[in-house]
Amino acid sequence: MTATTRPRARAWTGTGLARERWHGYLFLLPVLLFLAAVIVLPLAHAFWTSLHRIRGLRSTFVGLANYFRVLEDDAFWHALKVSLGFVSVSVTLHMLLGLALALALNEIRVARTALRVVFLTPWMVSAAVGATIWLWLLEPQFGVVNYLLRAADIIDRPVAWLGEPGPAFAAVTAVEVWRGVPFVMLLMLAGLQTIPVEQYEAADIDGASTWQRFRWITLPNLKYLIVVASTLDIINVVRHYDIIGIMTAGGPAGATEVLPALLYNTAFRANRFGEAAAIGVLLLAMVLVFSILYLRATRIGRSDGDA
Amino acid sequence: MTKFATSTAVAALLIGAIGPAAAQQRVVLQWQTPNLTEAQYEPIWKQTIAAFEAANPNIKIEPILVARRDHWTKFVAAAQARQAPCIVAVDLTTAAAEGYLRPIDDLWDKEPAAFRNAWSDDMLKAARWKGKLYGLPNWGGVYAEIYNRELVVKAGLDPKNPPKNWAEYLQWAKALTGTDHWATSVLGGKTDTTTRVLLTWIYGNGGEPFNADMTESRFAKDPKSLEAIKFYLGLFSDHKVASPAPTTTNYLEQTVLFSQGKIATMRNAYWSVAKVIGDNPQIEGKMFAAPLPAQIPNAPTLATVTAHSISESCRHPEEAWRFIKFDMDKKWAVARAVKANWMPLRRDLADEPEIKADPMLSEFVRIGTNARSYPLPHPAWADIAANDIVDAVQRALLEPARTEQIFQDLDVRLSRKLKDQ
Repeated sequence: MTATTRPRARAWTGTGLARERWHGYLFLLPVLLFLAAVIVLPLAHAFWTSLHRIRGLRSTFVGLANYFRVLEDDAFWHALKVSLGFVSVSVTLHMLLGLALALALNEIRVARTALRVVFLTPWMVSAAVGATIWLWLLEPQFGVVNYLLRAADIIDRPVAWLGEPGPAFAAVTAVEVWRGVPFVMLLMLAGLQTIPVEQYEAADIDGASTWQRFRWITLPNLKYLIVVASTLDIINVVRHYDIIGIMTAGGPAGATEVLPALLYNTAFRANRFGEAAAIGVLLLAMVLVFSILYLRATRIGRSDGDA
Repeated sequence: MTKFATSTAVAALLIGAIGPAAAQQRVVLQWQTPNLTEAQYEPIWKQTIAAFEAANPNIKIEPILVARRDHWTKFVAAAQARQAPCIVAVDLTTAAAEGYLRPIDDLWDKEPAAFRNAWSDDMLKAARWKGKLYGLPNWGGVYAEIYNRELVVKAGLDPKNPPKNWAEYLQWAKALTGTDHWATSVLGGKTDTTTRVLLTWIYGNGGEPFNADMTESRFAKDPKSLEAIKFYLGLFSDHKVASPAPTTTNYLEQTVLFSQGKIATMRNAYWSVAKVIGDNPQIEGKMFAAPLPAQIPNAPTLATVTAHSISESCRHPEEAWRFIKFDMDKKWAVARAVKANWMPLRRDLADEPEIKADPMLSEFVRIGTNARSYPLPHPAWADIAANDIVDAVQRALLEPARTEQIFQDLDVRLSRKLKDQ
């Protein structure tokens, strides 16, 4: 009765696999429950809210009426236009300046850590604190910015940086750039340090110029990171309220009223929570569609062989 | 048996100890008003709470400190979750219309006539919504013109004879304006103060920005309103006698400019006096208040009414009412007026010696006898005041030539909102 049968290879089909799958789902269950509690339920509740006309503690089901009302309102389209401008300028500058700073910091050998900390500071300061600091720096009569410009004879009268549509938009965008660049810089710096030195050594032997090294070695190696960073940054900037809320509250004359500012004003100023929820759902849908299209267009997520 | 007897005795002792403790369990009442974060008011409310808790050992008052700009947002979020603080001072009409407040007529009606007579019908009217009383007026903000006496004298003007109409005001304004200082500020910053000051100019010209039942906006439709708006905004746009950057100037910036001597006059409530002295203690005693220059006889000024209410979700309304009454006592009202510059709204306080001894305060009290309350009784008012009117002011400051068109557009927008409730 000596057993001569070979041990059976573990089958990956049939009841064994089903059991393992089931175990796998059980292990995932806590995370799935957590995600349901903090993401799915609030989203579902926001969508449910958007289908109601809410007056304080009273609520009436109105179907899609809030969506029609929002889409018929000029304020929504104006806010969308302002949001697009704010996001495109901010993200472009985040990426360009973040990459430039990362390249510079990657080359610098003296006081490297200290400089990194200094450049990271705006990102470490909370958005509300940063916005308040800039609010007073840009104050027309007493602000340091006007004081320095007057001392240097660049301006002869106080400039209302947050009081004119153009300068106000530029000012809040500049503060957003000031705060957002370190995040991109940090990502890029990490990416730069993963590029094999041998590639640059080979390029040096071939006599490549600095631009050629950047164009043909650095950029291709950072491509994945740039796509991820810009996608994350777009999602991050498009939902920003704090900086604009504190510095201009959407003014002057609606010049800085991005969609989150409109959402806040609709909910807490006008007490129209249903419409505010509809704006939120539309904003989420736009970000989702954009992210999917952007990631597809940049082929992210496919293997190199598929690309 | 011994074990049983011991257990029974221990159980009896525990019940005896826990029973009365549970019966005397402290009721905790949260109290939220935007004023609690103001430095000049802090010592008063701390004393008030300490005195109340000493007199009512089973009630604990828990102050909720919220920055003024977040006050309404936090209240609404808590009210939506049925967790609003018991005692609140909020935009009464809006909060009542949204169902966030509890009517207090049952509590009010039980009070003796002597207590109820301390408030005028006008003041109580400002705390009513659809016939029900939703709060007890506590303090107010009467708007007057506050001048820097030194700058007035320096400009060769007579402080004892302040301007009574717009022509005289403009004459003063020109004399008070120089290369790096201005007569006053035009406000366009995005808060209620912008609207409040605009309304004082409209009232001073006999204008009516709304029809009687608040269903129609008349900023441009009423010639008197439009004339007032044009004159006021023209102080910056046409006459150049107002400080730069009006679209960002608000209560805070205005008082800073005034305390620094950059502007000589400001249109503000009595509480701003404390703020200005806090910014620049040397200015104390160098200010004087006067009625707003107006174009019609006996023009009313504007007064904000802050009432203490009980939130709809409050589980201890009787105890909350007890604290509200305690806080309304003459003693605290006078202390708030004298030490924290919060003007009392009880009509039996004008003759209090401490109030009569303060010339600025008594002048404000006198000016306040002819005041119209703010906010106007309409649930959409808070949104209209903070967003639409301020937005129109900003647009008109940026494009003065389009002022009439901008306010016509405002009328259309507001009338729609007023009818859409």
